[in-house]
Amino acid sequence: MIASQKVFLVDDEPALLRALSRLLRAEGFEVTTFSSATSFLETYDPNTPACVVLDVTMPEMTGIELQQHLIHSSSNLAIVFLTANGDIPMSVRAIKSGAIDFLTKPVKDSELIGAIRIGIKKTEENQSQQNETQSLKDRLKLLTNREKEVFIHVVTGEPNKLIASALGITEQTIKVHRGRVMHKMGAESLAQLVRIAERLALLESNS
Amino acid sequence: MVAAASLTLAAIHGLVWFRQRSALASLMFCLMATSTAGMAACELWMMSVQSPHEYDKALQCFNVLRWLITLSMVGFVHYYLGTGRKWLALSVCGLRTVGLFLNFTLTPNIYYSSISELRQIRFLGQSVTIVEGTPNPLMFVGQFSLILLAVYLVDATARGYKAGVRRSLVVGTSMLVFVMALSIQTFFVLWQSMDTPIIASLFFVGIVATMGLELSNDMVRAAILANNLQNREYELHRERQLTDAIFESAPGMLYLHSRDGQIVRWNSQYEKNTGYSSEEAKSMKAEELFRPEDLPKLNRSWDRAFSKGSVELEVDLIRKDRTSVRHFFTMVRVEVRGKPHLVGIGIDLSSQRALAIETAHRNEEMAQLAQMASMSELSSSLAHELNQPLAIILSNAQAAQRLLSHESPDMRELREILDDIVSADIRAADVIKKLRTILSRGEPALEEVEPVDLFEKALALAQTDLESANVVITKKIANNLPIFHADRIPVEQVILNLIKNACDAMEDNDPSSRHLHLSCKQDTGFLQFSVQDNGCGLPEDPDRIFDAFHSTKPSGLGLGLAISRTIIRAHGGQLWAEPAEKRGAIFHFNIPLDSFNS
Repeated sequence: MIASQKVFLVDDEPALLRALSRLLRAEGFEVTTFSSATSFLETYDPNTPACVVLDVTMPEMTGIELQQHLIHSSSNLAIVFLTANGDIPMSVRAIKSGAIDFLTKPVKDSELIGAIRIGIKKTEENQSQQNETQSLKDRLKLLTNREKEVFIHVVTGEPNKLIASALGITEQTIKVHRGRVMHKMGAESLAQLVRIAERLALLESNS
Repeated sequence: MVAAASLTLAAIHGLVWFRQRSALASLMFCLMATSTAGMAACELWMMSVQSPHEYDKALQCFNVLRWLITLSMVGFVHYYLGTGRKWLALSVCGLRTVGLFLNFTLTPNIYYSSISELRQIRFLGQSVTIVEGTPNPLMFVGQFSLILLAVYLVDATARGYKAGVRRSLVVGTSMLVFVMALSIQTFFVLWQSMDTPIIASLFFVGIVATMGLELSNDMVRAAILANNLQNREYELHRERQLTDAIFESAPGMLYLHSRDGQIVRWNSQYEKNTGYSSEEAKSMKAEELFRPEDLPKLNRSWDRAFSKGSVELEVDLIRKDRTSVRHFFTMVRVEVRGKPHLVGIGIDLSSQRALAIETAHRNEEMAQLAQMASMSELSSSLAHELNQPLAIILSNAQAAQRLLSHESPDMRELREILDDIVSADIRAADVIKKLRTILSRGEPALEEVEPVDLFEKALALAQTDLESANVVITKKIANNLPIFHADRIPVEQVILNLIKNACDAMEDNDPSSRHLHLSCKQDTGFLQFSVQDNGCGLPEDPDRIFDAFHSTKPSGLGLGLAISRTIIRAHGGQLWAEPAEKRGAIFHFNIPLDSFNS
C-alpha cells in the first residue's frame, strides 16, 4: 500500500463528514474534510494526487460547479460524487466531465472505497505520466536547434538523404545529429523516438 | 267701539303673555289695552252723568284707569324698547301715583276745586254732558307727569334709535304724538274750558293701536323665526341621522366626550368593545375605561388633544368584566355647543393582531405549499430529508465494523460513532413525523369553494410544466355549478397532482399531440371533477396505482395518488381512474355537496 492515499471530503452535513471520514480512515486513507466547496478551493493543493468526494447539493457552490472549477484550473484530482437525490441527466453530465463515479446516499462502503481507489489510481497514473512528460521536456531542452530540426524530420519517417537535401547539409552530418538526438532523448530505437515525439506533441505543434 | 277693539287686542296679548310668561311687554300691552277699554267706558259714563256727584265718581274711576295706563305704557316702553332711563320712568309713575292719591284726598277731585254746573252740549252729533267748574291748581301734578312721560318717551326713542333699534322710532314717535295731542286736548278742556268732553281714551287707543301693530309685527317675525327654526331643526335631524350612520359604520368604537371625560355619544361598537350597556355608558366617564396607572399618560394625551387638536395613543382598555384589551385610540378636538369635546375612534388591536397573525400563518402555509408545488416534489424532498440521516447511519455503522476488525479498536471513537448514529436516527424519525403532520392536517378546514376556481389555481401552479411540455388544455365546466364546502388547498393539490401525472404520462407523446382535458359536472348530490390525458394509459390493474409506494416513475416515491385518495376520502368522496376511450387515462374524483353544507 502506498503511504499516503489522500481523500478530500466536501459536504455541508457535518455528521456525514464525520461518518465518512471515520470509515475512510479505518480503511487507511488520509482524510481531510471541508464543509463547503469554497473552503475546499481555498486550501487544497492541486499537485498532490488525491480523490475528492463531493456532495452535489450544497449551498453557495454545488459539487457540479466545483467540478467545472477544477477542470478549468487543470488540476489532477479524481472526483467521486455523492448525492441524496441526483437524477440521471445530472449524473451523465458529471461522468462526461470526467467524474470517476456518481454514487447515491446512503452509500455502501465497498462502492465508495472502490470508487476512491480507482480515482486515486487514476490520479497517480496521471501523475507519473505527467512526470515522464516533464522529464522528456527537460531532455528536449538539451537539443540544439539543428538537432531539433533533424529530430522532427526523422520522426516523420524521412530517409537521411532527403533530410540532408532539405536542410542543405551532408548525409554524414545528419547521421551524427541523429545519433545525438537518440542519445539525448534516451531512445533506443526509432520507434521509441517516434513515441516520445508523440508524447511531447511535437508533430502537431511543429511550426 | 274703542273698548271692543282694545279688549280684543288685550285678549290676544294677554294670551301671549299667559303662554309665555317672559313676554312682559305683552302683559303691559294687555294691561294698557284693558285699561283703555275701561277708560273709554268711563268717559262714556262721564258724558252721560246726571249730577256733579256722579261725575265726581266717574272722574275718580277715570283717574284710576289713567294711572294704570300710564304705568303700563311706561312698563311697555321699558320692556319693549328697553332703552328708557329708569329714573325717568319711576318719576313718571311716581307723579302719576301722587296725582291718583291727590285725586282721592281732594274734594271733589284733582281736576276741579269746585264743579259749578253740568251742561249738555252736542258733540259729534251726540248729546253729551260736560261740567263747568274751577280748575284745581294741583292738577299740574298730572300734567307734569304727562310732560315727564313725553320726555321719557323722547329719551327712550332717541337712545333706541341711536342704538340702532329702528322700531323704537316708530313706537316712540307715534306714542309721543298721541301723548302730546292728549296733553294739549286736556289742557284746553281743563284750563280753557273748551266745550268738549274728556276723550283721553281716543288718544290712548291710538297708542294701543301703534303698540298693537308693533307687537303684531313682532309676532309675525317670531312666526318666521319659528318656521326657520323648524326647518333648521329638520336639517339638524337629518344631520344627526347622517352622523349616526357615520358613527355606526366606523370600524371601531367611536366616542365623543366632554373636557371632564363625560361620554356624550358613542356607537354600538363602543358597547361591544367595552362591555357596558347603553344605559351604563350614559353615566360613564372616559377615565373609568382605563387602569389607574395608565391615567397620568391618558391625562397628558387628553391635555395635548385639547391644546393641539389631535392625538393618537395605544393603551389597554379595561372592559366591564375587568379583562384588558389593547386598543389604538385617536382623539380630535371638536366644539360641541360651544364647549370643547374630544371625538375619536378606538380600534381593538387584539383582533387586528389576530387577523395579522392569521394572515401571516396563511401566507406561510401557502408559501410552504408553493415551495412543494406538488406531491412529487414533496416526495423528492422527502427522499433527500430521509437519505441524509440514513447515509450518516450507514457510513458510521460500516466505519464501526471496520474499526472493530482492528486489533485494538479505539473505544472512544466507537462511542462517538454510536452517538452520531442515534442522533441521525432521531432526525429521520422527525422527518417522518413532520411528513405525517403535513399529510394529515386533522379535520379538513372547510371553506366555500368555487369549482372553477379549483381548476384555475391548479393550472396556475402547473403552468410551467404545461407550457414546457406544450400541452393543449381544454375545459368543460357545466354551467351554474354550486359553490361547495371543501378544504381548498389540499383539494387544489389533488388536482395539481393529477395534472402533473397526466403531463408525465404524455411525456412520450409527440409534442404536438399532448392533450389535457379538465371537466366538472354536478351529479346527484356530488360534484365530479375529471382530468383526462392522451398519454401512456393505465396498467392492467388500475387500482394498484393508488397504493402507497407504487410508482411507475424512476424518481417518484409513489405517494402522490395515495395521498390524493386520502384527501378526497376525508371529504367524503372517491378518487378513481379509468382508461380513456381512445388513448390515455381519466382520473375522476367526486365530493358530496350536502354532507358539509348542513
